[in-house]
Amino acid sequence: MKRTPLIKELTAIMGREAVLSRPEDLMLYEYDALSALRTPDAVVFPTTTEQVVRLVKLAADQKTPIVPRGAGTGLSGGAVVTEGGIVISLARMKKILEIDLESQRARVQPGVVNTDLSLAVADGGFYYAPDPSSQKACTIGGNVAENSGGPHTLAYGVTTNHVLGLEVVLPDGEVIRAGGKCWETPGYDLTGLLVGSEGTLGIVTEITVRLMRRPEAVETMVAIYDRVMDATRTVVAITSEGITPAALEMMDGFTLRAVEQATHAGYPMDSAAVLLIEVEGLGEAVSEQARQIEAVCGRNNVRAVRRAKTPDERALFWKGRKNAFGALGRISPNYYVQDGVIPRTRLPEMLEYIEAVGRKYDLRIGNIFHAGDGNLHPLLMFDARDRDQSQRVVKAAQEIMGRCAELGGSITGEHGVGVEKNELMPLIFSEDDLEIQRQIKSLFNPSGLFNPGKVLPTGKMCGEIRVQVGSGA
Amino acid sequence: MAIAADVVRAGFAGIVGESQVLYGEPACAGLRVDGRLPRCVVYPTSAEQAAQVLKFAAENGLAVIAIGGGSKLGIGNPPQKYDVALCLRDMKKTLHYEPADLTAGVEAGTTFQEFQDLLRRDGLWLPLDPPGRERATLGGIVAANASGPLRQLYGTPRDMVLGMRIATTEGKVVKTGGRVVKNVAGFDLGKLLIGSFGTLGVIVEVNLKLFPIPAERETFILSAGTLGIARDLRRRILNSPLEPARLVLLDAEASNLIRPVASLDSAAREPEIWVEASGSKAVIDRTRKDLEELGRAVGAKVQLSDQEGSRASWRLIADFSNWFHVTSPESLVLKGTMPTAHCEEFLSLAQQEAGNEKVKVTSITQVGVGIMVLGLVGSNGANPMVPLVTRLRKSLEKLGGALTVIAAPVEFKEQVDAWGTPGSGLKMMQKLKAAWDPKGILAPGRFVGGI
Ligand SMILES: Cc1cc2nc3c(=O)[nH]c(=O)nc-3n(C[C@H](O)[C@H](O)[C@H](O)COP(=O)(O)OP(=O)(O)OC[C@H]3O[C@@H](n4cnc5c(N)ncnc54)[C@H](O)[C@@H]3O)c2cc1C
Repeated sequence: MKRTPLIKELTAIMGREAVLSRPEDLMLYEYDALSALRTPDAVVFPTTTEQVVRLVKLAADQKTPIVPRGAGTGLSGGAVVTEGGIVISLARMKKILEIDLESQRARVQPGVVNTDLSLAVADGGFYYAPDPSSQKACTIGGNVAENSGGPHTLAYGVTTNHVLGLEVVLPDGEVIRAGGKCWETPGYDLTGLLVGSEGTLGIVTEITVRLMRRPEAVETMVAIYDRVMDATRTVVAITSEGITPAALEMMDGFTLRAVEQATHAGYPMDSAAVLLIEVEGLGEAVSEQARQIEAVCGRNNVRAVRRAKTPDERALFWKGRKNAFGALGRISPNYYVQDGVIPRTRLPEMLEYIEAVGRKYDLRIGNIFHAGDGNLHPLLMFDARDRDQSQRVVKAAQEIMGRCAELGGSITGEHGVGVEKNELMPLIFSEDDLEIQRQIKSLFNPSGLFNPGKVLPTGKMCGEIRVQVGSGA
Repeated sequence: MAIAADVVRAGFAGIVGESQVLYGEPACAGLRVDGRLPRCVVYPTSAEQAAQVLKFAAENGLAVIAIGGGSKLGIGNPPQKYDVALCLRDMKKTLHYEPADLTAGVEAGTTFQEFQDLLRRDGLWLPLDPPGRERATLGGIVAANASGPLRQLYGTPRDMVLGMRIATTEGKVVKTGGRVVKNVAGFDLGKLLIGSFGTLGVIVEVNLKLFPIPAERETFILSAGTLGIARDLRRRILNSPLEPARLVLLDAEASNLIRPVASLDSAAREPEIWVEASGSKAVIDRTRKDLEELGRAVGAKVQLSDQEGSRASWRLIADFSNWFHVTSPESLVLKGTMPTAHCEEFLSLAQQEAGNEKVKVTSITQVGVGIMVLGLVGSNGANPMVPLVTRLRKSLEKLGGALTVIAAPVEFKEQVDAWGTPGSGLKMMQKLKAAWDPKGILAPGRFVGGI
């Protein structure tokens, strides 16, 4: 369909205020936090499931691609348009529909911002556990689509472990409910399949999640190291000694200096690495575990372990971590965040490998990651105006992903595949494995109009990353 | 058209070898499903063989039921057809085991017990207490997403499976997920297989997340007096900072069955809440203190069970759905799932409705999870059971829950669907089934909505 009649139809469904069509407005939707691709033909802001259904049917009739979008903080190009079409922003579907503290559940629209849900139930002593570092901006719908993790998902599990039910608009406009408030419903676990499907199987219009009780006690520690190797060894030792902290994060010296300059969290400028470790639970358990962890750090040549003495100090430690990407964005014109997973015991050798890759391609690589899960986020610094450097960045990132795969890990732990890594899927999946995934996709999305070009290899660009590596958010 | 017996013989022998296929009554007797006997049982020794068996069966229209230890074959509708038992008992290799990483991968026929024995040496475990664990295999546990009261703290196989390999009716072995604890590459197909009861494909390998065994455990029993008090206790415990490993409500009938095993004196004539605390000594002491305080507030006594007694009791509690039916084959065992807020309300309703029909209820409820196992015994045959279960199912569905049949005489299962009302996702489920098993040979008719 031509653009003008399409906009007319969209306006008829949505009203004028809920449709963007001017080029200058549309430009903002070329991006997510990773990349910029095409300009959408229109952006619409439904407020009800009914509107979503009408939009989906219209798009199906017109054979126009649809890309669902939350807050656009995604880091794999999931919410950007690959070949034109309509962006359906769920940002205005942000009602919390039900809070049932006794059964520890909440039912929300997809546009609810992650922290807003936790805030809404804080008075009752509850919170929503998955906490991506972007939680002040990203939406629960986006979290569901990416199966997002966060620092505290080490102990409590990622999004899929906290989502019990979904309402979903399928590509033919049918609305289904999967799961519900209970831990089990008869039949196949469609909820489990849809979580992490990156908006390619349906648009999520309602989500039922589990709420958790806030723990009675929290202890937050920063362990400071003179050698990176000692920090990574500490991580291995904590895991293998059976201690499960609520969070176990690591930043290398390069990263923490950038963070320190930006947030003044109190990380020592001259150290080689820090671990940010948090334990939670019953007071008795927390003080014991904190002691055990200090002992492990001690055995691994820690320079010092600082405990947060006040809630403010705790918040400051976390602020440093949660704003780390932004802090690096201040010192480098661009950066490329990677997301790979390895078995946690391979951490020390993997860090050495990353360093070697940095040397090989003459790149600055900062390391910041969910160390307890073995989920790495190397940040490759570059200047997008320098074409040669940009190409080296992509090559270096691919090598790091290749190494993750060789070690028995994964090419993404939480940021998703999107358009960034779909051509890398063969690193960890055989053709048969991929074929069955294609089959699932075409069952739900036979016309391929839902978020096209994402997740699975398109075969168009064998083994190359098509993403324009964008500027750091 | 039925396929000739000699073609079947030659086909299976060609895949797994003659000695790995057994025919006829004595060999298959233990593999009956709802009274039906398969023609033969096939024992593959590799993932590829299992896939080839499925392919051959699909090409020849033979209905296959995958079997691990056979501990949960009672779950589901009677099969429409049952020709071949695909038994994974000879696939029990440990594929990788990384105690320091807290991960392992095993073939699906590995028994739960063998696996726990392996882990225990390193102070690790898979924190599950599913019914039938003496016989159960990991593949079967995952296919049934089976769990027990430990679910309160640790969840179910769904929360522990990192990846798997699946044999398909196309004769392929496909992988989903991986070996690491965090992974979002590709669609999470494993979720479809977990709890699919062998109706989509056969799980041949699983990778699992492992956990350290807690230092100590202690069991506390709170007498509840009435279901109203039980509700009050549940609310207080779940609203406290305590993190029990298990938390169940036994009605008076269930307490009477369990208490002797725990070597606790006199029979309880009232519902009880059983709590297991785990962790360090300090955590357990703290739990005791808090429970005593909580109990005092509602007038509930707190009793302690000795170590041996509580271990035996928890085994019995976890295995309730299994032994209850075995000891009285006329009984029904049902599983209700519900929002936790409705546990006591539904139990009271069930007791009342059953009482009207002179049916005795014995129940164990995971009140922090919202899962209730009900054993029903009638005094005049199966007659009142059909309308009773239908009514209970309706009431529970109104509360947002579901009532499934776990074990029942075949005559009952022929009249009442095992799973209940399928939701609006049924069409999608049927499409998935048709894609994975186009010939409909995997446990036909046993699952939700005729799948
Ligand atoms: C500074 C920073 C820190 C981050 N930290 C983390 C972290 O710690 N852990 C982590 O996992 N991620 C992290 N991320 C990545 C990102 O925030 C998450 O992936 C987040 O879940 C995306 O949410 P969103 O609302 O921004 O979704 P978007 O980026 O708008 O969309 C993401 C994907 O979801 C789809 N989608 C959105 N809404 C729906 C819906 N309702 N139905 C169907 N599909 C939908 C889109 O099509 C797209 O494919 C971080 C990002 C940034 C910029």
